[in-house]
Amino acid sequence: MNAPDPGLRLRRVSEMKDTKFDGKTYGYVPPKKLNIDKKLKLHTKFQKTIDPITYEVIRHSLWHVNEEHGATIQRISGSPVAMYALDLNPSILTEDAEFVYFGPYMQYMSGVTDTQVKWILEYRSDNPGIRDGDMFLANDPWVGAAHQQDVMLICPVFWKGELFCWVTNCLHQYDIGGITPSSFCGSAENAYEEGICMPPVKIIEGNEIRRDIEELYLRASRKPDAVALDFRAQLAGNITARDRILRLIKRYGPEVVKGVMKRIIDTSERAFLDKLKRLPDGIYRDRTYVECCRPGDRRTHQVMLTMIKKGNKLRFENEGTAPQDGAMNSTYSGWRGAIMVALNQLLCWDQYFAIGGALRHVDFDPTPGTFTCATFPASVSTAPVQAMEISLYPAYNVLSKMLFADPQMREDIMCIGGTSQWPATIFRGIDQWGERYGYLLVDPIGGAIGAFSTGDGISNGGQSRTPICRLPNVEHNEQSFPVLILYRKEVIDSGGAGRWRGGLSAETCFIPHRTASMTHDTLSSGNAMPTSTGMMGGYPATVNVYKFRRDTDILQRLKDCDLIEDISEVKGEVVELQLRQQDFLQQPNDVYSVIWTAAGGFGDPAERDAQRVAKDVVENGAVSVAAAREIYGVVIGADERLDVAATEKLRAGRRAARIRKNGKARVLAGKVKVQLTDNLAVRREADGLHSCCAKCATDLGHISGNYKEHAVRQDNDIRTANPNIGDYRRYIDERPIFRQFFCPGCGALLENEIAREGDPVLRDIELTMR
Amino acid sequence: MGPYLVGVDIGGTFTDCVVLDRQGGITATKSASTPSNFAEGMLAAMAVAAERLELPFQSFCEQIKVLTHGTTVGTNALIQRKGAKVGLITTKGHEDAIHIMRGSRGVNSRDIAKVVHFPESQKPDPIVPKRFVKGVSERVDCFGQVVVPLNEAEAEAAVKSLLAEGCTAIAICFLWSFRHAAHERRVREIVQRLAPEVFISCSVDIAPKWGEYERTTATVLNAYIGPVMSRYLSNLNDQLKANHYRQPLQIAQCGGGSVSVERAMESPLLTLDSGPVAGVTGSVYFGKVIGTPNIITTDMGGTSFDVGIIANGLPEYSFVSNVIQYEYFLPKVDIEAIGAGGGSLAQVDTFSKSLRVGPQSAGADPGPACYGRGNTTPTVTDADVVLGYLDPDNFLGGRMKLDRAKAYAAVKGVADKLGLTVMQAASGIAKIAEYKMADIIRKMTVEKGYDPRDFVLFAFGGAGPVHAGVFGSELGVQKVIVPLREIASTWCAFGAASADILHVYEQVDIQGSPFDAARINAVLDQLQAKADAQMLKDGIPASRRKYSFSLDMRHRGQINEVEVMQAQPRLKSARLEALRQQFYTRYEQLYGKNASFKSARLEIVTLRVRASAATPRPKLPKASRLTALIPKSAKNGSREVYWDDLKRTVKTPIFAGAALKPGNKLKGPCVVETAQTTVVVHPGRSLRVDAWGNFEITFAKALTS
Repeated sequence: MNAPDPGLRLRRVSEMKDTKFDGKTYGYVPPKKLNIDKKLKLHTKFQKTIDPITYEVIRHSLWHVNEEHGATIQRISGSPVAMYALDLNPSILTEDAEFVYFGPYMQYMSGVTDTQVKWILEYRSDNPGIRDGDMFLANDPWVGAAHQQDVMLICPVFWKGELFCWVTNCLHQYDIGGITPSSFCGSAENAYEEGICMPPVKIIEGNEIRRDIEELYLRASRKPDAVALDFRAQLAGNITARDRILRLIKRYGPEVVKGVMKRIIDTSERAFLDKLKRLPDGIYRDRTYVECCRPGDRRTHQVMLTMIKKGNKLRFENEGTAPQDGAMNSTYSGWRGAIMVALNQLLCWDQYFAIGGALRHVDFDPTPGTFTCATFPASVSTAPVQAMEISLYPAYNVLSKMLFADPQMREDIMCIGGTSQWPATIFRGIDQWGERYGYLLVDPIGGAIGAFSTGDGISNGGQSRTPICRLPNVEHNEQSFPVLILYRKEVIDSGGAGRWRGGLSAETCFIPHRTASMTHDTLSSGNAMPTSTGMMGGYPATVNVYKFRRDTDILQRLKDCDLIEDISEVKGEVVELQLRQQDFLQQPNDVYSVIWTAAGGFGDPAERDAQRVAKDVVENGAVSVAAAREIYGVVIGADERLDVAATEKLRAGRRAARIRKNGKARVLAGKVKVQLTDNLAVRREADGLHSCCAKCATDLGHISGNYKEHAVRQDNDIRTANPNIGDYRRYIDERPIFRQFFCPGCGALLENEIAREGDPVLRDIELTMR
Repeated sequence: MGPYLVGVDIGGTFTDCVVLDRQGGITATKSASTPSNFAEGMLAAMAVAAERLELPFQSFCEQIKVLTHGTTVGTNALIQRKGAKVGLITTKGHEDAIHIMRGSRGVNSRDIAKVVHFPESQKPDPIVPKRFVKGVSERVDCFGQVVVPLNEAEAEAAVKSLLAEGCTAIAICFLWSFRHAAHERRVREIVQRLAPEVFISCSVDIAPKWGEYERTTATVLNAYIGPVMSRYLSNLNDQLKANHYRQPLQIAQCGGGSVSVERAMESPLLTLDSGPVAGVTGSVYFGKVIGTPNIITTDMGGTSFDVGIIANGLPEYSFVSNVIQYEYFLPKVDIEAIGAGGGSLAQVDTFSKSLRVGPQSAGADPGPACYGRGNTTPTVTDADVVLGYLDPDNFLGGRMKLDRAKAYAAVKGVADKLGLTVMQAASGIAKIAEYKMADIIRKMTVEKGYDPRDFVLFAFGGAGPVHAGVFGSELGVQKVIVPLREIASTWCAFGAASADILHVYEQVDIQGSPFDAARINAVLDQLQAKADAQMLKDGIPASRRKYSFSLDMRHRGQINEVEVMQAQPRLKSARLEALRQQFYTRYEQLYGKNASFKSARLEIVTLRVRASAATPRPKLPKASRLTALIPKSAKNGSREVYWDDLKRTVKTPIFAGAALKPGNKLKGPCVVETAQTTVVVHPGRSLRVDAWGNFEITFAKALTS
């Protein structure tokens, strides 16, 4: 391993002036000005004034070019990856690789596109050259892929000898080699043990497939036919998009079309800047943890995300993140791409996938050598299900906390959604048709969507990073693999509690069926400590849960016409599966189930409308009677109805218990400058700005300090945060806790923290405004 | 003059009635719909037709040979959430399938550009709440083998508890029931025994397809609208009988034909979307009459825009549909609703200072600014009024007055923000809408593997002919046809009147290659037997029955299925290689050359029969003489119209469409008006009246390509 010496303080990219970020050892970081060979002529002229009607007509056509591009790939590929998981994305970029549009499919892939195109401009314009009729194949995560399986096909579009723009697409491949079938190499120690890794290579030259390169590419795969077909799909997609753009150029002229492209970017830039102008300057932080980076590992690996908003700039850093290790890492572009997903969804959604303008004002300054910005040759093949997820989801929190300050943008915020770490079920064997098979259970893509500031999250609403995905039907799974799915159900209490509740996730439980046995691997994190944390007092969602019972009575139950609704109903030996357990067997009477993380809640659950809690208990099956009482402070009577009086009494008693007993809280009278979170505001006082309770105006100190230091703090057992959290000692050594911070004046819940016992209190919001 | 063929189409706003007589004479009427009791509006529309034919109502009814009815009652019940209280019985452990919705939110049917704005993409309110879903122990596996027999005690308890909750309809859907129907049938018997009056919907009857989510939603939706539809249809049937209508009432169905009222009452889901589908059905029939096999149909009303495709005389089908975000299985003529109709709102985008048209719509209420109901944001219809395309005093044959001043003020609001003249802004709104329509229709056509240049475009519905000349030429079709002039605005009713009786039955039997012809034929036999039994009930003699068989096939391990039509009713072993080739041909036609994957095994998923019986049809009259001479009565003066191509307002001749003669040819710019619609002919385009009386718009040259 080339992991840096842990004793050294790692430096941020911006501090490493002497280092080459050329995509070899360090991930490629494009310079402000690209170094492009003079041989390559760029088309840069564009018309500045275009009448609004022509603009709109061409804008809509460009959007459609991209839609048609994505549809073409799906149609030709036809693979479950393309059709269900929608693990693909097409883009259009300008000649110098600014985004015009990217598509509504796998959102990660946007952020890894522009870097790859820029790299090609810098490192391929001289040799072998970039010419009309060429396309480049690429999947090197240090150049820009999310992980090796995400293969890009990148096509320059030329007009009269000048490079006019780029159309590109990215599509996840079943298998491109490596020590594990499917190329998710959960036990790999480095990139040499993973799938083929290709810096951009010219696979199409003068509109012809280079057979030598294609054969080289397919040689590494266990499923070369499927990869070959997907390659045809990617090729057809690019050709469709390129032809459509050329037709637009012929009709309207190159300078008008380019003028529209530039204006799409300029427009999204203006919209972005207009939003930033309305937000206070500040530093926003979030902290989470990844568990188990290799088989046998019992550590937790800290993940830090810091976002600095200053004037019209945003900067993201990951300083404080644990060093790269095992098989849990991602590269620079994976980390950047992950953050861009949240940036687009919360800040740029109204610009419809035109994120180029915003990116002009966003800096990414991670610390190489950390596991979310790993250097070569770290293992990165699992990046999208671990390091990238954990880079993305905290970004929802930091962005939401910034946006909350503006009453209108407050409506766009969203808590962390479900499957924030993917609990993989990887199994193989001989299927019911007598053929060899291997599979990764896709069900966790059902995810859940986090609570909003205006309403509950969406139960099983999908993973927010793939907004139009869908999971296979039970009957699809059972036709393809030798399993009998005993149940697939929404999990009670899985959604994080809050004034607005997070969406519920689900659980899939199965036995092998018509096969002697099946061989499994697990690959997961977020099983001890929740990763879908809540926000502004909202509680976390359930953790990932694996359940396994051996030698059960399930076959007898089936014979007795008595199906189960939960794995706890079967009798048998309870086996704890580890998070990277390899090669364990499941026999027909062994029952396996998996719950994926649900979505975080928003605001203090004690403030949730009691009638809504009652409805969640009685009608929605979303909250248990016990959780209603323990977490929401809501009493449901034996008659399944809300007990109003008992609820009021319970809630009042709890609030009183949270109030500071020793010393009197000071109530501020200054003018409210800004509301920061559901229960936190800032007021102007004689000595400057102070944080305070938004409900009762109790002082929480000058904004130069952390408001949490002035709050009443409670450190609770982690299991009080969500009823589905179990004993952490099964997976990790360090004790996690659930910290709560209350207003000393009125007992309102200000914020929660999931942390390891020894970790310092997080300063989640640090206003730098004056 | 009888016997008559009558088609009635009930829409949200208007009820259209078309009567065809033996000589091919056509009578079309339009009257207001009566949402509180749709049957009333329907009878009223028929009464107007009877009056037009100078017949007493009852003797008109007596002379009707077939009455086919397209209705929106089911759709309305769904959208307004006024359906039955439904209970669902399903396999224990899988109660949540309909709520999980496969993890999707069904938002694909909505504005895709907004799909990442999650606060706006909630799931729909559950159509069956969790407490009305009851799991019962039973289990069948993918081979159709019973793993767990039905636990009848649990089933009975489940039914009783749903009845105790007051459910008036019960949906039954078990896993893999399409491989083993007995468990669902047994539960049906239990319900019938305990509560004979309750509406029952079994998945094996309504959608015996692979995939429990879409199958369950089909079953539940059917139950949800079942009681409402049954009540409505039986009431209507009684009233018609009371008025001496003697034939079986036929109901337009979304598969592209009609079914008997009895079958519609059992499977009301078949009637969803049947109105717009009838427009395609009518186009299939009419395309045959005039010898046009490839048609893109566009039905543009005040607020809706539906597009269908007919290739080689057959409508394109879809097998999964989406309503109120729920996806469900049903073989259906593929209609895509486009969010760009006359009601599309035009707004200035704050940051790009450009003009956006749609996808937001003013809807029917308040509607465009010119309706004068309080909306002040301009719509496409307002632009049409400002430009002079539409005559505000003669909209819908004068039944509705439009307020030009309000339209003008609304468009001016947008024009001022953009620094354009009002006319520039208005023509911009029309142009953006038209180009968007062209983009979207083009994508639909290309996605189905067709090239728009091989098609003609039918423009019908009240608002279609205003814009079809532009989006048609942008799309690159050969020509635009406004079929049968004024009938074009009641085209769906015409389609209902010309619908054949059609029953579609499907069976899933997933099998990999090499195929076994005997196994395939056995399933086809069963399907045919099912269809025969239904046709026997319909009273259709064997000599009138026609069958067509098809197989949905795919590469094993892939998702895309294509429907392969069978030339012969049964497969011979010797023809299996030909079947394989037929699959590749169809697959590559749809998905592109070299898209098929020859080294993969193939799989048959679904087998299907379409059983039809032709209804007797009149011979539509065709003029034997064409004349270039435009009758004086057709010249209807002129008005000022703004033409974008000329960049100015021009005194433009107006023609009365009904008075034009076959063979007449008009050069753009001009406007042709009929009682129900307006045809706009831009400079550089021309309009001809063909021998059947269609308006045909042709373009000087293909503008795209």
